[in-house]
Amino acid sequence: MDMTRNAAAVSLPVPAEITQIREEIEDVKTFYFRFEDPELERSFPIRSGQFVMCTVFGAGEFAVSLPWSPEQDRRHLSVRSVGKVTSALHGLRVGDKIGIRGPFGNGFPFAELSGRNLIYVAGGIGLIPLRSSIVHALLHREDFGRIILLYGAKSSRELMYRPNIEEWRKRDGFETYVTIDRPEPGWDGETGFVHTLIEKANVPIENTTAFVCGPPVMFNAVIGELSRRGLKDDCIISTLERHMKCGIGKCQHCAIGRTLVCTDGPVYTYKQIKTLGETI
Amino acid sequence: MTMHLLAKSDVPRFLSALSGRFEMYGPQVHPESGDVFFDLAADGSRIRLDAPIPVNSPKFAVFPHWERILSYAYDRENKEVKIIPEDLVRPKALVGVRACDLTGLLCFDRFFLGQEFVDEFYRAHRRKIFIVSVTCTAPFPQCFCVCTDSGPYAAEGYDVNLTDLGESYLLEPGSEAGRALAAELGLAEAGPDAARRRDEAVDRSISLFEAKAVENKAWISRAVNRLTTGFVKNETWEYIGKQCFECGACSFVCPSCSCFNIEDVNRQSGGTDRLRTWDSCSFEGYARMAGEHNPRRPVEDRRNKRFFCKLSYSQSKKYLRPGCVGCGRCVRVCPGDIGMTNVVTAIRRDITG
Ligand SMILES: Cc1cc2nc3c(=O)[nH]c(=O)nc-3n(C[C@H](O)[C@H](O)[C@H](O)COP(=O)(O)OP(=O)(O)OC[C@H]3O[C@@H](n4cnc5c(N)ncnc54)[C@H](O)[C@@H]3O)c2cc1C
Ligand code: SF4
Ligand code: SF4
Repeated sequence: MDMTRNAAAVSLPVPAEITQIREEIEDVKTFYFRFEDPELERSFPIRSGQFVMCTVFGAGEFAVSLPWSPEQDRRHLSVRSVGKVTSALHGLRVGDKIGIRGPFGNGFPFAELSGRNLIYVAGGIGLIPLRSSIVHALLHREDFGRIILLYGAKSSRELMYRPNIEEWRKRDGFETYVTIDRPEPGWDGETGFVHTLIEKANVPIENTTAFVCGPPVMFNAVIGELSRRGLKDDCIISTLERHMKCGIGKCQHCAIGRTLVCTDGPVYTYKQIKTLGETI
Repeated sequence: MTMHLLAKSDVPRFLSALSGRFEMYGPQVHPESGDVFFDLAADGSRIRLDAPIPVNSPKFAVFPHWERILSYAYDRENKEVKIIPEDLVRPKALVGVRACDLTGLLCFDRFFLGQEFVDEFYRAHRRKIFIVSVTCTAPFPQCFCVCTDSGPYAAEGYDVNLTDLGESYLLEPGSEAGRALAAELGLAEAGPDAARRRDEAVDRSISLFEAKAVENKAWISRAVNRLTTGFVKNETWEYIGKQCFECGACSFVCPSCSCFNIEDVNRQSGGTDRLRTWDSCSFEGYARMAGEHNPRRPVEDRRNKRFFCKLSYSQSKKYLRPGCVGCGRCVRVCPGDIGMTNVVTAIRRDITG
């Protein structure tokens, strides 16, 4: 088959080797990988906020966010085992091969964000799609106003990327607030739902963009609180998830109203989300 | 381009010239049921150019019911993976394609080839297709292509178009390949009155359509307007949803429905095939995500998608025209009686039960 537009990684998965596996939290592992093809290994340009389709050979393919930053970091995927393909991935070992197609999707609108305060609000594994953007923002610290992470999980065992968070905490000009739902022996941090951190962090509203990712209940509570404080809908950004098969706008499974999450998204402003004409 | 005349007695010669270089597909009458199917025809001889509109659309020739899009073998012992692209696509001639179905193919072209990404698997089929379309000189009972601007005469997209002028067909080449075929067969050039006779045949056909379109309640533009501006009552969608059996037949017969699923299937003998298969937005599992989260659970939620996809202005952008091409097939097959034209009526009249 002869192909157009960097077609190899669009239509056909390209092989990559798992180089390290880290148990992140229960049911979630991070898989570091390297492409077999040295050319791709050298250069696989991404925008933060994009995703790839990952093949687990013999099981199938699934959509997964890119948590690494475009200019730094080893390539890795963080995946929760929830079904057929993701559980097969969890069964793989270092040295095993996976397939990658992509990168796909629009990514975060960094060109429009310079000079603004960036507020990251994540619940549970909602931190995965935001990680790349956080690392990117920290690398270009001088381009932004305040940068604040408000992160919450059910319990301390369900906090993602803890080594990263500890490291970010130490950075100048990066404000980190982490909460768990209920008090726990040995936990001396915040407790309560993540939207309560908005008050505690004294989040600015003027000239601010908030990134919000997490389960629906958390999402709604956070949006409610931010809106109540006057943050406009087009200053709130999120990434959406949908059943997805092709990643390139053809299978139509990820349609929400008139938009396709794979090619128009997965990054949307809350203003856009409200007008999709379908529940999310 | 120069037009030619193809004497009806010359049709077998025309078909056999094609069958020499293409896999032949065309309308055939099933010997027992009498139904017309658009299907593979070993040589051209069973193809009936004058058969009524087939029950299935020819889309399967470029977008098969199921197909292997690639295969791979992973040797876990040695950590070796081999990915094998599919390259078994044979050149096909689609003969006797009606204008509605050709318009459906053009919708496919714009959708699969004309967006941000090219669908390589579709392209592999499409670039090897030779299309012989036929003008419908009379409508069939189910038709309303005049309401969707997709017939009865094909304006573009064919290699060769045939219009029945009585004793012969007017043969209009629409591509270089079509022109070469006409030249090779040594067909006589059509006289100066041929175009006029064709236009008369088309006009006569359109005049017969008017009654059909009214009978078929195909007030498409009104429905386009209401869908686009969101003026469809929830109760109307609920009524339409309740009628749907979620059988998927409407999607499968529709010349412009193109949703698919992808599945990796392990072979008994080792190795895995990646298969893509037709899918339908009416199915319950269509949007279901892991953990049983289904954003489109109620059937009316799913059922209205098809009609937005076919008729709303924002969705039409992907085809540069409405997705419905007026073939009437979904009307014929739907066991719940909510084919396109009945839905158009429900939308127009705010029918809720
Ligand atoms: C843009 C995007 C980014 C994502 N990023 C991540 C990530 O970083 N980490 C992570 O753990 N998960 C992520 N997901 C979710 C992940 O794709 C699903 O959990 C995964 O597809 C489930 O597949 P499965 O075969 O294990 O589950 P099953 O329930 O067995 O699913 C079978 C099939 O359904 C489809 N499917 C089911 N759930 C989803 C879903 N939520 N999204 C898309 N397709 C689904 C897939 O095609 C899958 O092959 C992302 C999804 C999208 C759309
Ligand atoms: S929606 Fe129905 S009438 Fe319209 S093109 Fe599809 S099958 Fe034919
Ligand atoms: S053919 Fe009718 S019953 Fe079957 S899925 Fe389509 S609309 Fe529903």
